[in-house]
Amino acid sequence: MKAENSTGDFERLAMPLFDSLYNFARWLARDESEAEDLVQEAFSKALRGFASFTPGTDFRAWIFRILRNTFLTSRTGLSSKMTESLEEGDEAVAVAVTWETPESLALASATREALQSALERLPVEYREVVLLCDVEEMKYREIAEVLAIPIGTVMSRVARARKLLRQLLADQGTRPASAGKPGQS
Amino acid sequence: MSCTEWHNRIDAYVDGELSPVEMAAFRAHAEKCAECAALALSATESKSAIRRAATRYSASPELRARVFASIKAGAQAEIAEVKPRRAGFADYFSGMWPRWALAVAALLLVAAGLFVAANRRQEAKSLAEFADLHVANLASANPVEVVSTDRHTVKPWFQGRIPFTFALPELQGSPFTLVGGRVAYFHQEPGAHLVFRYQRHLISVFIFRETSQLDLPVSSYQSQASSFTLRTWTQGGLRYVVIGDAGAGTIQQLMELVRSAQ
Repeated sequence: MKAENSTGDFERLAMPLFDSLYNFARWLARDESEAEDLVQEAFSKALRGFASFTPGTDFRAWIFRILRNTFLTSRTGLSSKMTESLEEGDEAVAVAVTWETPESLALASATREALQSALERLPVEYREVVLLCDVEEMKYREIAEVLAIPIGTVMSRVARARKLLRQLLADQGTRPASAGKPGQS
Repeated sequence: MSCTEWHNRIDAYVDGELSPVEMAAFRAHAEKCAECAALALSATESKSAIRRAATRYSASPELRARVFASIKAGAQAEIAEVKPRRAGFADYFSGMWPRWALAVAALLLVAAGLFVAANRRQEAKSLAEFADLHVANLASANPVEVVSTDRHTVKPWFQGRIPFTFALPELQGSPFTLVGGRVAYFHQEPGAHLVFRYQRHLISVFIFRETSQLDLPVSSYQSQASSFTLRTWTQGGLRYVVIGDAGAGTIQQLMELVRSAQ
C-alpha cells in the first residue's frame, strides 16, 4: 500500500508542473521532439527515483534538476558544453554588471517576438537561469538547488544573463542607425 | 549606498532577494533618486515581459496523456501485488448477499440521492454566486486593491477591513503566486478575496465568516459548473471557497495549501 501512496503523491506533485517542465525543456532543447523526449525521460527518472525524494522539501527544484540533468546528458546538452564556459565569467561579473538607462529601455519596450528571439540567442547557461528566475519565479536559493551551484553564483549569473539580454535587444535596435557592440551600452 | 551600487543591486531587488533592511533602504533612496526609481521600474517591467514572452510552449495533449499513462502504469504494477486479496473480499460478500437485500440497498441509495439533490439545489445557488463574484471582481478595473506577492503585505492590509483574521500559506516551492487581495461582499457580509496565479490562470480564494446565510455544504465539497472548479470547506468558524478555471488537481492543491496554513 505504501508504494501505491507514493505514486499518488508523485502524481499530485508532478502533474501540476507538467506545462512548466515542458516549456523549460523546449527552451533548453529548442526542438519540439527533443523536448518531448526530455520531459518523458525526466518524468520516468523522477518516478523511479521518487523514493529518494525527501517529503516536505522542494519538489519543484528536485524535478527541475532531474529535467536539466537529463538535458545535460542529451546530445544537444553535451554539445552545448555549458559547464565549462562559465567558471571564469561568473567571477568577473560581480563588479561588472549594472543597469543603465538606454539598455533598460530597449528591454522594456521590446516586442514579444524580439524578446523571444533574443532569449533564443542567449547562451543556454544564461537562458536557463532567466527561465527559472523570471518564468518559474524561483528564488535564488531554489535555482541554486536546480543548478547545483552556490547562491552567489546564481545571483551574478542572473544579473549577467539579463545584462546580455539587454545588450542583445539594444543592438537589435530600437535605434536603427546605431550599431553598438555588445559590451558598450 | 551610491547610485552605482544600487544599480548593481537592481536584479536582486526585482527578484525579491534584498534583505528587508536593504529593501527599505532602496525604497528610501528611490524616493529621492528618479534615475534609480526609473531603472527599478523598467527592470520590474522587463521581468514580467520576459515571463510573458517565455511562457511560450505548451505540451501536446498526446504527450501529457503518454506521461500520465506511464505514471499510472507504474502505479498499476505496484497495486497488482495487493489486488488478489481485494478480489477475494468482493467475492465473499457478493456470495453472501441475497438479491432482495441488494434491491433494498439500491432503493435506499436512490432515496439518499434525492435528498442530497434537494440540498444541492440550495447550495448550488450560493456556489453560483461565488462564481459570479470571482468573475465580476477579476473583470473589474481593479481586480485587487492590494497588489503584492508578499503574504506579509497582503495579510496586514486586511486588518480593520474585515471582521476576522486568517493566515496565508507559504507559496515557495508551490506552483502558485499571490497576486493580491481585496474586500469582497457576500450577502452584505465583508470578507477577503485573495487572488492567486497558477500559470495563466487566476484563482480566487474567498474567506467569510460562517453564517447561516451562506447556506453552503457543511464540509469539503467540490463542484464543477460552467468550467469552474470550486472547493469549499469550513475551518475555525470561517468559510473558505477556492474557485478558478484551472484543473481540479490544481484547485485541490491550492485548497490544501490554504487549509494547512490556518
